Amino acid sequence: MSAAVGFFAGFRLRLQDRVDGLCLLCMGGFMAALARSQLYWYFLNPKFSVLTLSAGALLLLVGLALLVRPLPGAPSMGRLWRQAVLLGFLSLAATAWGQAASEPFAGAVSSTSFEDPSLDSAQAPDPEAPVDLHPVRGGETYLRLNLAELYIMLDKGRTDLPPRFALRAMVVRTPKLNAHGQVLLKRTAVVCCLADSLELSFLASGEGLEDVQTGDWVEVFGSLETLSGADANLPKAAPKGEGPSLAITYPKSRIRAYATEPMRAPDFPYLFEFREQEPYAW
Amino acid sequence: MDSSSFAIFAAIVTSIVLEAAPFLLLGSLLSSLLNVYVGDGALEKLARRSLPAQIGLGLVAGLFLPTCECGVVPVTRRLLKKGVPPGAAIPFMLAAPVVNPVSLASTWVAFQGDLGMVAWRAALVLVPAAMLGWALGNIKGAELLRGQTVLLPMAHEAQEQQAHTPQAHAHEACGCDCGHDHSQPHVRPSLVQGLLEVLRGTGREFLEMGLFLILGACAAGLFKVFLPQEWLGFVSANLWLAVPAMMLLAVLMSVCSEADAFVAASLTMFPRPALLAFLALGPMLDLKLLPAFLSVFQRRVALTLILAPAAAVYLLTMGLGLSGVLP
Repeated sequence: MSAAVGFFAGFRLRLQDRVDGLCLLCMGGFMAALARSQLYWYFLNPKFSVLTLSAGALLLLVGLALLVRPLPGAPSMGRLWRQAVLLGFLSLAATAWGQAASEPFAGAVSSTSFEDPSLDSAQAPDPEAPVDLHPVRGGETYLRLNLAELYIMLDKGRTDLPPRFALRAMVVRTPKLNAHGQVLLKRTAVVCCLADSLELSFLASGEGLEDVQTGDWVEVFGSLETLSGADANLPKAAPKGEGPSLAITYPKSRIRAYATEPMRAPDFPYLFEFREQEPYAW
Repeated sequence: MDSSSFAIFAAIVTSIVLEAAPFLLLGSLLSSLLNVYVGDGALEKLARRSLPAQIGLGLVAGLFLPTCECGVVPVTRRLLKKGVPPGAAIPFMLAAPVVNPVSLASTWVAFQGDLGMVAWRAALVLVPAAMLGWALGNIKGAELLRGQTVLLPMAHEAQEQQAHTPQAHAHEACGCDCGHDHSQPHVRPSLVQGLLEVLRGTGREFLEMGLFLILGACAAGLFKVFLPQEWLGFVSANLWLAVPAMMLLAVLMSVCSEADAFVAASLTMFPRPALLAFLALGPMLDLKLLPAFLSVFQRRVALTLILAPAAAVYLLTMGLGLSGVLP
């Protein structure tokens, strides 16, 4: 009898370390699973997936140490509070993961968005290296780059802008832009994680953009055209975005399209890589 | 909060925590390794020099004794009680949360390898830390400290106090975060025992600091979801508003110094001086440190530790912004 009482007293004294260990096992398991999932890019730049996986593995080890070899310690409000907050966070994170799999934000819908996130492993965004970095359309040569790279070049005041370029983007239409014969071409650029993402966009008009609808993905072959006259204030009328990213529309120029080709949504709709010289990240 | 806003909030909080968690874990691991294998003696011996040397040593001690602001106050109090002069202990307390390998590396990563941000952040912390080391350096350590802790004890100490109950001491070791058996003089543990202590200490410290990271990420998530972009544009476009707004945010969000760079990097609309004000002030003054300062130090010293870094960061970042040194 006294042995049983002693056992339970000892178990109780070590319970807090065991609960800490369980919390850390859950956190480590979550991080490792997300790092190996196909939806990692939804939250973080895929280049961090190895870091997340390693941290998850170390947390599993740490949690195991606390669970299997706990030390005695009385419960305190502080410990209960931090355990509760961590479990609350894990619930929130699981909700966000489920949301990413079933109903992603506009602009984050990929060709694989609705597949089982647990089936495939994480990978860096496939650069989908084009067959030709300098495609020719209508006898003119274009330079392939991504929308963020073009935006950064303009933002830095670069003078060596390509005269003609090809870029891929998602289309956004609004009644006001329709009235001016314009559409918005946008991409979400992610530096580290979703919290620092930017939704970059350009106004555009021209060949092939008349019939595209909001949510369509296109490859536009065009050049830059300075906004002037009545169109100069149009960027201010661009929608501010309803997702998690800060929306910015380039205020001084728009894209004049000479050709537009429809395409399917890319596997990774976000942009994670930005280069300042050829070959561009495309 | 509607379902769409909640989805954005959940995704942002998740991404910030997952981004920062590896750095927090690394900091916890380093701290635990030091706790188990390195005593405070080395720092104590080195600190018994002239005041400028003490200040210099205190400023860089974080490179060898990495810690974040979550645990730096009890460490500083322990150092002061052991006789480390305030000229070294105070600069260590203010600078170590930033001038340590983990924090500097996370800043470098969060700002995409921008060494300028790393250097300016360190400089903006080192200046007030050195200034306060100079001002308080000639006072005896015992005169800086309150006789007894009057507010909440630090989390480490709360556990230590509980672990030192007769019940706990009936067992092989106490349950405090240091992982030592306090009934015995400090001895180097065996490899396996030491590894276990390191892992347990890492876990406890990660949970302790993770609490503030998660709460900070929630604040950042709410900030992103509810603040209209127009308002952000208005505040961030005006340096006179942006710097104090980011300083206030640093105090209120109380994000760990090993993870706050990722939060700052997400606030892309703010000018660099305002981001630096956030990065420099948060590790020296936040909602975790305020009660700790008031609890550990004499009231006048605590008020100095609260007001002086805030004033210094404001003046320095405004000066950098207005002079055009930082765009």
